[in-house]
Amino acid sequence: MKTLMIKTHEVWLEMLMAGFMSKSTNKQVLFDFSDILFRHLTWLENEIITLDESYSYDRDAIPIKVEKLSDLLHDLVKRLGEIHLQLMGSPDKALNARIGSDIDYMQRTLKEMKDEAVTAFNVKRELEGIPLTQEATDALTLFLFEETYKEYELILIYNYLKAHSNDAYMNRIFQILIDESFFHLKRFGEMGAKMGILAVPRVVMKELYQVDDVVQFLKDGIDEELAAKEECKKLSEAVAKDSKALAHFFDFINHQENYHIALMKDALTHYTGEKH
Amino acid sequence: MNVDSELIEHMMNPKNYGTLESADAQGIGKNPENGEKVAIFIRVGKDEDQPYVDDIRFQAIGCTTTVVAGSMLTEEAKGLNFKGIYNLVDATMNLLDKLPSEDAACSEMVALAIRAAVDTYVKREIDPDFPAVTYQIASSCVPKEEEA
Repeated sequence: MKTLMIKTHEVWLEMLMAGFMSKSTNKQVLFDFSDILFRHLTWLENEIITLDESYSYDRDAIPIKVEKLSDLLHDLVKRLGEIHLQLMGSPDKALNARIGSDIDYMQRTLKEMKDEAVTAFNVKRELEGIPLTQEATDALTLFLFEETYKEYELILIYNYLKAHSNDAYMNRIFQILIDESFFHLKRFGEMGAKMGILAVPRVVMKELYQVDDVVQFLKDGIDEELAAKEECKKLSEAVAKDSKALAHFFDFINHQENYHIALMKDALTHYTGEKH
Repeated sequence: MNVDSELIEHMMNPKNYGTLESADAQGIGKNPENGEKVAIFIRVGKDEDQPYVDDIRFQAIGCTTTVVAGSMLTEEAKGLNFKGIYNLVDATMNLLDKLPSEDAACSEMVALAIRAAVDTYVKREIDPDFPAVTYQIASSCVPKEEEA
């Protein structure tokens, strides 16, 4: 079951990366599939928790650097096939049937997708129609690497907390934060691919999501959101004279952090209120 | 940070990121200011009784600069004997003054974690249960003008 979860984690990320690489109608299909695979991950995780087994979000590195999308699609079909085979030995037959059915459809669809040339790794660091100074380009480059990882990290942290909580109020907050981080991850990944610097976020260290002190985690999280607001503000200022649209985008992200902070403060009040 | 093609390559594909299942020793470099840390895992080989770093991996709770420093320094550390490792760590520490404060803190954290891993190995030659050595950095991640 643990191997199945690791493989599902890897194929979820690879599918997401394929979505970033695509510039055609394939993109939305690949994003939808990656969302489905993330849900598979949460179902398998729930099974592992029910069986009272320990687990982590460790996984192998995922090579994604391709020149043609079809190369990655072939690999996805192969990886999905491996998961399908492993499902047979897993105890929950109903879950296996559900996941197996999704996999069948995904494999068929991926095999029929039209090929595309991939430019997500050309390191040109240009955004079409938006001329940026060297300084703004460098600031945006560093921001995208930093924040793409950060959003992936947050998805895993909130997902882990949610998986181990039976508190409906907290789980509502965790789910909103997961959804928000997915939105940000997709926007930053899209931008990274357009700039030719797409990369799979690095593996998250266990101690970040296997949180012992949720109160401290929430307090630190609020500080991190405040720091992220500052980074967005700096970036908005750095790109403002080159592109108003890009500056507005980073202002929008900056203001979204207020929402996250409010949710985390809400969670903190709820949690401390219950515990003390 | 000067964003050149070498740096981007390390950001896109960090070298030696992850853990080593068959590690002989682990070392930690920690920033007490903000909880950031680097864990180094080493597998040690012996060449005419001289131990050397046969393989190395790192993981980080930290920023992109830490990952770049980890990627670069672990590449340099691979294959070095212990004297070479200590020289690499010293050379890195001597460079810290010339770096911006946040870059210095990240590089120091990685260098100290590498030294910690080798020191753990040396201690475990005598006591196999010796815990992973942890060193704390002295550099501050906060730029001086922000501290004032």
